[in-house]
Amino acid sequence: MKSIKASTITMKTVIYIVCIFLSLLSIFPFWVMIMNATRSTYQIQQTSVALFPGKSLVNNWKILTGKSFNPWVGFVNSMIISTGTTICAVYFSSLTAYALVAYTWRLRNAFFSFIMAVLMIPAQVSGIGFYQFMYKIGWTNSLLPLILPAIAAPAMVFFMRQYLMATLSLDIVASARIDGSGEFRTFNQIILPIMKPAMATQAIFTFVGSWNNLFIPLILLTRQEKYTMPIMVSLLRGDIYKTEYGSVYLGLTLTVLPLFVIYFILSKYIIAGVALGALKE
Amino acid sequence: MARKGVSYAKWGYIFSIPFVVTFIIFSLYPTLYTVVIGFTDLRGLGKTTFKFLSDPFANFTAILANVTFKQSLANTAIIWTMNFIPQITLALLLTAWFTTRRFQVKAQGAFKVLIYMPNIITAATIAILFNALFGYPKGPVNDLLIRLGFLDAPSNFHLQKWTSKGVIAFIQFWMWYGNSMIVLIAGVLGIDVTLFEAAEIDGANATQIFFRITLPRLKTIVLYVLITSMIGGLQMFDIPRLYNLGRPDNATLTSSVFIYNQAFSGSYLYNRASAASMIVFLIIVVLSVALFFIMRDKDEVKARKLERQIKRRGGVA
Amino acid sequence: MKRTMRILLMMALVASLAVSLFAMGAGEAPKDTRKIINLWSFTDEVPKMVEKYKQLHPEFDYEVRTTIIATTDGAYQPALDQALAGGGDNAPDLYCAEAAFVLKYTQGDAAHFAAPYKSLGINVDAKLKEADIAPYTVDIGTNDAGDLVGLGYQATGGAFIYRRSIAKDVWGSDDPAFVTSKVGPGWDRFFAAAEDLARKGYAIVSGDGDIWHAVEGSSPQGWIVNDKLFIDPTREAFLDMSKMMLEKGYNNDTTDWTDAWFADMKDAGSKKVFGFFGPAWLINYVMAGNSGGSKPGEGTYGDWGVCEPPVGFFWGGTWVLANNQSPVKNGVGKLIEWITLDSSNTGLQYYWANGTLDGPGGTKDTVASGTVMKKSDGTLPFLGGQNMFDVFVPAGAFATGKNKTQYDETINIYWRDQVDNYANGMKTKAQAIADFKRVVADNLAIDI
Repeated sequence: MKSIKASTITMKTVIYIVCIFLSLLSIFPFWVMIMNATRSTYQIQQTSVALFPGKSLVNNWKILTGKSFNPWVGFVNSMIISTGTTICAVYFSSLTAYALVAYTWRLRNAFFSFIMAVLMIPAQVSGIGFYQFMYKIGWTNSLLPLILPAIAAPAMVFFMRQYLMATLSLDIVASARIDGSGEFRTFNQIILPIMKPAMATQAIFTFVGSWNNLFIPLILLTRQEKYTMPIMVSLLRGDIYKTEYGSVYLGLTLTVLPLFVIYFILSKYIIAGVALGALKE
Repeated sequence: MARKGVSYAKWGYIFSIPFVVTFIIFSLYPTLYTVVIGFTDLRGLGKTTFKFLSDPFANFTAILANVTFKQSLANTAIIWTMNFIPQITLALLLTAWFTTRRFQVKAQGAFKVLIYMPNIITAATIAILFNALFGYPKGPVNDLLIRLGFLDAPSNFHLQKWTSKGVIAFIQFWMWYGNSMIVLIAGVLGIDVTLFEAAEIDGANATQIFFRITLPRLKTIVLYVLITSMIGGLQMFDIPRLYNLGRPDNATLTSSVFIYNQAFSGSYLYNRASAASMIVFLIIVVLSVALFFIMRDKDEVKARKLERQIKRRGGVA
Repeated sequence: MKRTMRILLMMALVASLAVSLFAMGAGEAPKDTRKIINLWSFTDEVPKMVEKYKQLHPEFDYEVRTTIIATTDGAYQPALDQALAGGGDNAPDLYCAEAAFVLKYTQGDAAHFAAPYKSLGINVDAKLKEADIAPYTVDIGTNDAGDLVGLGYQATGGAFIYRRSIAKDVWGSDDPAFVTSKVGPGWDRFFAAAEDLARKGYAIVSGDGDIWHAVEGSSPQGWIVNDKLFIDPTREAFLDMSKMMLEKGYNNDTTDWTDAWFADMKDAGSKKVFGFFGPAWLINYVMAGNSGGSKPGEGTYGDWGVCEPPVGFFWGGTWVLANNQSPVKNGVGKLIEWITLDSSNTGLQYYWANGTLDGPGGTKDTVASGTVMKKSDGTLPFLGGQNMFDVFVPAGAFATGKNKTQYDETINIYWRDQVDNYANGMKTKAQAIADFKRVVADNLAIDI
């Protein structure tokens, strides 16, 4: 018994050392980014990686706001897009995954193979098709083409399916039916709660991905009042010989802050450490 | 499970409608575009008319004969392997540590949050940061190695093929192991707690519990991590492009960067880009099918065995 | 079921949107039919100019909607291309292109979108003469049919920007005319000067990238000749120049735009660096801030001079173009004329040259109009009081736009990569050239 305890203590020491090391490694880029947000462009050009702050925060803020960077407008647009995308993706992917796991239907395997195939097509060329199509139907400067496609998110459907396969017991579905619950209600009221940990992780990933997405919004949104935060940051970079690096880093810092908040809110479902497993409901 | 009279199959179809409709509206055209263009003569900017080639596979044979494309495939495979093996190992290890009840790692909430953080920053920021870190003749890594006595003079890391590959693999590993870990932890949280309790009562140690109970139950999620990271790895784009534009001497050119260059670096070879996409797509399909096949068999066999074992042990106790 | 209905409704909405937009596109008239101008740019330079124009000309009653997309993420061109090809209400009417990719929009794959200046109501020939525009900007802005479709407002002819104290130490004089005769004309004299400097422990330039702009800009032929890849002998010679400079320690082996390169502007590198090749913007936007000071006596500030380079070249610049399909050609024409061809004291270029666009004391720059340059003052304390225009005006005339292609940005990356490999002894010259050709052929489908 004692040796087990001793080995557990050794093990725990190793765990803490590794975790602290990994955490420091994680903080590093954020630290550099925040430090650079307080340094002048020329200081950054001389040494781009610094661990101590400079004195140019106020000046960087002035450059930032003087350069058509409107943090509030960007924040609102980014928030609408990312929240909308996350809700659409999480809800409908769960629904599609449920259809793939809970029901036996003839095209089920074909449909799943199809979803996987969509996931596997490299995006570089289909991107061209997407932009062409959006421009053809005139759907530029609308936030909807940035939100609605999330309803069909193959990677997330795949994850939800795998998750349900591991955790869903069809007995619950059956007993709900006996209680007279309709299929749609069963999904909303019984299945969704089971999927909380899965939904929380995927919600974080989707939100982060959507928040940081630059290329598609850049091409589809051409009006300043529709710009997202990453678009505004990319504008700060302008052309190579006149980039105001200090304000770029300040912009990046401002862009990342809301992500922290969202992540902390959602992470409670991952961190909880309590199994929200199927049979517990 | 089969029920007489009522068939629920139609709900499978009904619940799939939102996905299918959205796909048709937003992705059908882009997908068909990718597939069809590969068989045509479409190249050049702003062209909308094209005709099919008399030899429909001309673009494909051109791409298959393209030395740079072959290089890019090899690079992708190498960089992916260098990133994926440490990534899945560390992610599984951390998952085991954080979910083993005996360890009760304190502040694990904070660790989980911190470890995922590299995934929050945009790829562009990370790529620029690392490029600066490995700067030459003046850069933090060079300064450090000289100060520690490993180097006498600054080393031009950006000209070293394997260093460049390694840096990209490291960035990729470091940005994604937290993500894989969170996915795996979510999978563990979905496992029935009574299984762990029963095993603990049986006196199983942490390692046994992880390999005999957690891992088999996690198979479907591990399969997800494997497949998506393989797809993500084979489509790796931002970091290799932004870190050093595929240099030196094509050493960090991945297949997605190659495809992008075909389409956007000056000649607008949309048809060849599309043919290359299809080839990469086929490679991914073959590998995925193989993975599904390997994982599926073992999965069911092991799960069944395990259940029997637990039942038998429970019976004895 | 409700959801299905909603989605069907969405589809109907998409369809109706599409129909209504196509209908609008079809009803365009040749005269200005609306009062909105869509402006696309990659910096806020031109948008700021337009603001100034509107301030000076209250009768100009167009609303200008600005779209700015940075070039750094590689997104500006794809976005602009889609917007030009897509047409409709949000299509750009007035758009900007940078030197690195302007040829695509004036002579290359996207040339068919560009409207000839004369169709915008500009009396091109008379104005060109009156303003005395640098010839290379006109070369680049002229399409294959011989029509002028784009002009820049800057002149980016390059000079050699050198350290006065080092010139005095090595040769005993820091006079621009004297230094000109030391570093040129031609590369042989330049490397002789490099040897003089090396003996005293100085590097003539920071890295081989510094001389590349000059080598590239001065070569008689560009990368593509008769639809085939062509390596001009002057460019091929760069392979050995680069290797020789590295071996003899003529530079600090830096890469442009990295920390080490910037550090060399204030003597923070391993050897003190004598000079940089560049246009006026390099002085104002890059070197001044990185000199380690903000008035003479601090850092290297004030210790610089400008002289003629060993060979003529230009580097950078922004060209302004109009969309052929634009319904507001009149309005666009007025803006373009003011920006590129108005040589009066209330034209853009006069403000730009004297740094007075946002009031007095702004950054001075060289402009395309020789007429404006003659009446402007380019004295800078950074250059120890030298009038930089004395050197930059003739520099604009040495520059040529005839050796450029729309592939330059990409091909230069491949070329510099192979040069680095060769210079560092990683492959033979023949191998480097063979690999270069193969990479170009593989990526761009250009015959070799």
